[in-house]
Amino acid sequence: MSDQIPTSFAERAAAAAPNRPSVPGGDPHPVLAAYGLSKTYGQTVALGGVDLAIGRGEAVAIMGASGSGKTTLLHCLAGIVPPDAGSIRFAGPGGSVEVAGLSERERSRLRREAFGFVFQQGLLVPELTAIENVALALMVGGVGRREAEQHALGWLADLGLSGLEQRRIGQLSGGQAQRVAIARALVTGAPVIFADEPTGALDSHTSSEVMDALLRIVTDYGRTLVVVTHDADVAARCTRTVHMSDGRIMDAALPASAPAAPHRGAGSHHTGPQFGADPAASAPADAAPAAVARPEEAQR
Amino acid sequence: MIARLAWMLARPGRAGLGLTLLPIVAFAVVTTLMLTVIGGAQTLWNAPGDIRFIYQLLTVVALALLVVPLLSLGGAAARLAARRRDDRLATLRLLGASTATVSAVAVLESGALALVGALAGGVLSLAVAPLVGLIPFLGHPLGALNVLVAPWGVVAVVAGVVAVAIVSAVLGLRKVVLSPLGVRMRTDAPRQGWIAVVIGVLGIAGASFLSSALGAAGSVVIMIVMAGAAFAGALALMNLIGPWLIGVVARRRVRSASTPAKLLAARAILESPKAAWRQVSASATASFVAVFAGTGAALLNLMNGEDLRDQDAMLAVDIRTGVIVTVVGTFLMVACAVGVTQAATILDRVEVNRSLGHLGTPLSVIERARLGTVVVPLLTTSITAAVAAVVVVLPLAGLALVLAPLSVGMIVVALLAGVGLVLLGLLATRPLQARALSTEPAAASA
Repeated sequence: MSDQIPTSFAERAAAAAPNRPSVPGGDPHPVLAAYGLSKTYGQTVALGGVDLAIGRGEAVAIMGASGSGKTTLLHCLAGIVPPDAGSIRFAGPGGSVEVAGLSERERSRLRREAFGFVFQQGLLVPELTAIENVALALMVGGVGRREAEQHALGWLADLGLSGLEQRRIGQLSGGQAQRVAIARALVTGAPVIFADEPTGALDSHTSSEVMDALLRIVTDYGRTLVVVTHDADVAARCTRTVHMSDGRIMDAALPASAPAAPHRGAGSHHTGPQFGADPAASAPADAAPAAVARPEEAQR
Repeated sequence: MIARLAWMLARPGRAGLGLTLLPIVAFAVVTTLMLTVIGGAQTLWNAPGDIRFIYQLLTVVALALLVVPLLSLGGAAARLAARRRDDRLATLRLLGASTATVSAVAVLESGALALVGALAGGVLSLAVAPLVGLIPFLGHPLGALNVLVAPWGVVAVVAGVVAVAIVSAVLGLRKVVLSPLGVRMRTDAPRQGWIAVVIGVLGIAGASFLSSALGAAGSVVIMIVMAGAAFAGALALMNLIGPWLIGVVARRRVRSASTPAKLLAARAILESPKAAWRQVSASATASFVAVFAGTGAALLNLMNGEDLRDQDAMLAVDIRTGVIVTVVGTFLMVACAVGVTQAATILDRVEVNRSLGHLGTPLSVIERARLGTVVVPLLTTSITAAVAAVVVVLPLAGLALVLAPLSVGMIVVALLAGVGLVLLGLLATRPLQARALSTEPAAASA
């Protein structure tokens, strides 16, 4: 398996979109940029020409009523579903990629190598232990089990889950299970993490703890976070909020300075296992830890 | 109001049509197989001549062997119907429906699906009768008309299938009634007691002793009783050892799993070794029967043409045919049970598997994991049961292998064909998995 997203993706992206106009977001070199995204399901217009740019190290909240198209937008940006029309450019460590032009197989590989995901219910594999759930993300990319579990151990410790590695998901609280899901999203070194209602099934206290962990993705590890949420408190802690209605972006405030600082707990200064995102490619100037993970190593 | 809601939730939409059809198909298959087995048995029951008693005895043994996988298949079909129903019944409970209403909806719906499937199975059994009629017994093909079950028999089988579905629905209902949110928590993986294993091993050793002492029996009747005790005892004890053995194998595979597919498969088996055993336990019976009765049939065939009367020679050939039909028939039911169980599993795990797909896990990895959850228990049980049978009839098996390699070969081919059938049953569910995982979830939640 190759170590990174092939440069041919970048070449194809350049050919597909040589002179793009600027899009809401303000970053001249966004990590993700969508132009004119459209998606319909039958007669329902889920996305009606969406433009959006997301800068490196941003924590962007996508808000809107049910049916506004926010989850569809997240799925298109993440390469889970292809848009009917439009372009999605991802500037990864290995070059620029036109996500919308990739085959299903290539999109699957892109998600495996460059994106991390946190879902509402965690959606972890219930039969596996916490450490196996996290290691699985690396093993799918071709990393050996022993090495994968070593890295998983580091991320679980970093997220305050030491001693719970051998617990099955049913033996963890909702907040602990979501932190396992966050560790699974981070362990591959993915520069962009997508979270779909990550606190939707949690009480307010646990929700706050999970958001702390999620925002550390940006502040401690220099990754980019895209969160779909109904919760205004969650959105308020992100650098920017995008409001959607009827498949369109109503407004997209320019990035604020930095995401609201997470409530730091024990071990929060640990920079995580030496595994994951390219610091030069994904770390914000003011928040990058000294050593963050390289995704290329994760695929070895 | 609740009655209207119940109907609105129960009627199949365009998207859910496949989920409604699956249990109907499963019940149809169960009914077809049941009617076919009974049809074949009734022909042999009326065998002419003074060996009629032996044929009746063998028919009872074959029916007894086929009943377990048939009931297992019926249970799997009922569980599949329940999968479709649980979420909607939980919704009804949240909307304020009483326990009685929820119970009535569950019973009516499961009964209706089973009735439609069973009636379809009745028609299907007519279609396969010409094929079954070609199987040679008593020196000539059974005949399509002879294997048709009388109308009252068909009614009884259809009623039985519907009853199994309703009982299964009522038993499965407790979870929905108790927990409207339908929350199922998985805690620690269960462990199997080692005492059962000790009893099982001692039992098989005892069966082996009984078998080897057959020659010392004073009369034919005592010999038959001893052989029957050895046979039935070994089969019963395999049920004690089976789940434990599958658990041990799965635990070892969890430790050594080097790929995601192997890890997922081993953990899924370890989640419930008893469920894994139930899915393929009939293959253990078939393997045991194949070796045990196959050895006897092979030795009987040796005498063919020597000092056997025509009638005895025919009996020897028919026993071998019966063994092959029972083995293949049993594996066919295991294949159907695996197909039905896997269809239910696919529906049950669609969200988790879809999330794995979002993470970039190729469908091939998810499919290899699913294959492993069936193949590992299947091969574990089949090989272990065959070895156990060889232990029980050790001297005779060796003799048969040396003196009648062709007959032994035919039994081995029947076994391999049976395993192949089960794999086909598993492969038949691949399109369902592909469809379940390719559904774009954004439409519903956008």
